[in-house]
Amino acid sequence: MSPQAAKELQQDPLPSGRPRAFWAVFGVVAAGLLGYSAVGDTFALSNLANFLLYVPMALGLGLLWGYCGVLSFGQAAFFGIAGYVYGLIAGNLVDVAGGTLVAAAGGIVGAALVAAAFGYFVFYGQVSGWIIPLLTLVLSLILETFMAQTAGYQWRIGRVLFGGYNGMTSIPSLRIGPVEFSGPTTAFYLLVVGLSLLAYLGLRSLVGSRYGFILVGTRDDIERTRMLGHNVDFMQVQVFTLAAALAGLSGVLYVSWGNYMNPSNMGLLAATLPVVWAAVGGRESLVAVFLSTVALRALADTLAVRGGEYAFLIMGGLLLGTMLFFPAGIVVSLARAWQRRTQSFGPRASRLAKSEREPGVLK
Amino acid sequence: MSLPYIVNLLYQFADNVAFLLLAALGLMIILGVLDVINLAHGELIMLGGYVTTLAFYRWHLPLAACIVLSVIAVGLFGLLLERTVIRRFYHDKLGALVATWGISLILSQGILIVLGPSLQSVPLPDWTVSYGVYSFGGYRLLLFAVVVLVVVLAWWVFYHTRLGVQTRATMQNADMAQALGIDTRRIYLLTFAAGSALAGLTGALYAPTTTIVPLMGTTFVDVAFITVVVGGGANPIVGALTSATVLSLIATPLSSVLGTFFGRIGLLIAALVIIRFLPRGFSGYLRDLQRRRMAQAAT
Amino acid sequence: MSVGTPPVSGEILLQTTDLTKSFGGIRAVDHLTLTIARGELRCIIGPNGAGKSTLFSLLTGLHRADSGRILFRGEDITRLAPFRRVQKGICEKFQTTRIYRRLTVGQNLLIPRAMRGSENGQLKWALETLGLADEIDRPAGELYHSHQQWLEICLALATEPDLLLLDEPTAGMTPDETALTAQFVVDLNAHGVTVLVVEHDMAFVRYIARQVTVLHYGRIFAEGALAEIESDQDVRRIYLGEE
Repeated sequence: MSPQAAKELQQDPLPSGRPRAFWAVFGVVAAGLLGYSAVGDTFALSNLANFLLYVPMALGLGLLWGYCGVLSFGQAAFFGIAGYVYGLIAGNLVDVAGGTLVAAAGGIVGAALVAAAFGYFVFYGQVSGWIIPLLTLVLSLILETFMAQTAGYQWRIGRVLFGGYNGMTSIPSLRIGPVEFSGPTTAFYLLVVGLSLLAYLGLRSLVGSRYGFILVGTRDDIERTRMLGHNVDFMQVQVFTLAAALAGLSGVLYVSWGNYMNPSNMGLLAATLPVVWAAVGGRESLVAVFLSTVALRALADTLAVRGGEYAFLIMGGLLLGTMLFFPAGIVVSLARAWQRRTQSFGPRASRLAKSEREPGVLK
Repeated sequence: MSLPYIVNLLYQFADNVAFLLLAALGLMIILGVLDVINLAHGELIMLGGYVTTLAFYRWHLPLAACIVLSVIAVGLFGLLLERTVIRRFYHDKLGALVATWGISLILSQGILIVLGPSLQSVPLPDWTVSYGVYSFGGYRLLLFAVVVLVVVLAWWVFYHTRLGVQTRATMQNADMAQALGIDTRRIYLLTFAAGSALAGLTGALYAPTTTIVPLMGTTFVDVAFITVVVGGGANPIVGALTSATVLSLIATPLSSVLGTFFGRIGLLIAALVIIRFLPRGFSGYLRDLQRRRMAQAAT
Repeated sequence: MSVGTPPVSGEILLQTTDLTKSFGGIRAVDHLTLTIARGELRCIIGPNGAGKSTLFSLLTGLHRADSGRILFRGEDITRLAPFRRVQKGICEKFQTTRIYRRLTVGQNLLIPRAMRGSENGQLKWALETLGLADEIDRPAGELYHSHQQWLEICLALATEPDLLLLDEPTAGMTPDETALTAQFVVDLNAHGVTVLVVEHDMAFVRYIARQVTVLHYGRIFAEGALAEIESDQDVRRIYLGEE
């Protein structure tokens, strides 16, 4: 059937239903984040920017796992690939105007290309669901091991050293004309707020579109969807690549923020984090993933004072607890409980009851 | 090529096969029977290493006794894990994978907090065998012998005991097996415990050869995961044997020429190419082949 | 009655030649040669394990044939990927109902890939006839069993197929629902959709079928008009006798 006809049949194109209410809330949040740049001190802004820069990577996994049903531990690997590629290009083009933009594009494209090649083999092989998390984990491990042994002068391209275990340092920040987007600047904070909100809006409209429903179809019954005429193997490669590109964006922002990248950023523990964020928030809701990413980054940052092992211990506990007691995610479960409470009041009850049944209550 | 050189290559090959088999067999048995991936497998191996090392230094037990103790301890831990966590996820296999990842983090970071960044390793028994210009680690040869023993034992349990028949029935059709009076929950419990005990054995056996650190499991799981992916879950023993052999054939020359890292990259690429054509791994492919033979024989 | 009689008139839509598929030691489909003309409404009957569902999965590409050929509108589709066959115009309603239970009816209908992209009058008619037009906002998992079956037929119809394969479309339905389904299939066929139906319910088969193919051990056992088939002693023995 044609999309137009389908839209006629469907009264609610977006499951969240109330576009005016959505835009009002979104407007308040965006204004709050942007307005904070006028009042927050440099340290607070830089910290918040650091939390927010992981949002595109996490949202990419939310799309891939929550909407497409493909679990990947590869987001950190693509984050790292983009960061290193950015560093290589930016370090060599440091004197060229617009060099860092070329580097940013190169980093994101590099991550996307690796993902597309990897995705071709696993998705066109139509492998079982457990193979992708396993092989992406192996990819992370191997990349970490590789980068960790690239110490010394023989490991360099142009004037940039890989840096081995200590990582690549003195990576130039993004620069557009006279504006430099380095960690402690307001410009960087505004860039990160803008990009993370943009990533959210873009993905929200993607999952609300017909393509999004087809993705959900591949998640719920891949064979039925294939047998309704879709090249689902190719669609999965597309989504896997898009998720990797978003991780790449986060990687580029990260090196622009801190001017360094080291192997542990793409290693085993780093590979865990996007999965924890998506699972704990609720992988089928982009809002929940957004919120839990920022909250858990802040939590880890607080715990890191006592040592990284405590942060990872808590992350592991959260992950296990979520899977045992809130498989849909903590934020999503709380939202549902709240909806159930309010359901018994007023004329909106039936409407809420309806939206609760639908997947992705909070898009 | 001289004879000693060939013997040396064979030794490297056997060493690789032993490592892959020990790292992957437990994981694969659990996958084959429960259809669950235990991402905490590496940490169970780590626990095996820790139990052996602690028992060796604190209780001054002989190495062999330490190894037996590790097998029992980690097997019991697996029993506990199945009871408390794994069995809640038999309806959601990817959920089990994520939950066990949480367990793996808790174990590795918990050990790091409680026991610190590293332990002193158990001294490696210095038996060596010389041939030509090469000398071979006697302990490594012993490892290979243990692997052969483990595989034979697993084969015997799987094909020649009542428990093995019940397990294979459960693998083929759990509902039917249950209807026929097989306690499938018990099969799952015992299988998970056996897979865990194998992890404990692996950690214990390799404890004298590596540094004992909380993240030591990761040096096993990357190759273990590749072995499992390439072997497939259709038949754990056949899958593990074929996969470990083929991957060692690839890794041995690559590592000896280009180094360990490129050996591992080669394994990952080999795995990607193999699953592109054999998405159910070697054991799935062999099963299909066997069915096709039966079909031809029937005509 | 003869085996494998070609249809008397009309363009050939689907033709299988020596189609064979084995599972383990069993030949589910055995050198099957079948011809379907455009506009036909053909029932395929046969005892359990006769190879009916396997035939469908070979036609849709869910399983690869061991040997033999499938021609659709004169084109060899034997090795074509399943989704391409849907794009060519073959779609199946599976034996066990497979819809997207967590999505609403309307959202379900967004998923099938429509070939022509124009207004699909047929689908609109189908939704109204089957009472699904009023259920657009209801999650598919909350529909009655019969409505779930019908929704899957509508999903298949949304791909605008030339050849619709229905695998036991009335399984688990009440007699009234079966009658409605039968009338619907007849009307759909009158709209120009070629339909192949696998069904056990002989009341349903009597209602809709003009041509019937009897499969037995993966081969065509008999083929012809329903009346001839029902009076055939051999068919009664292998199949109808069981009812």
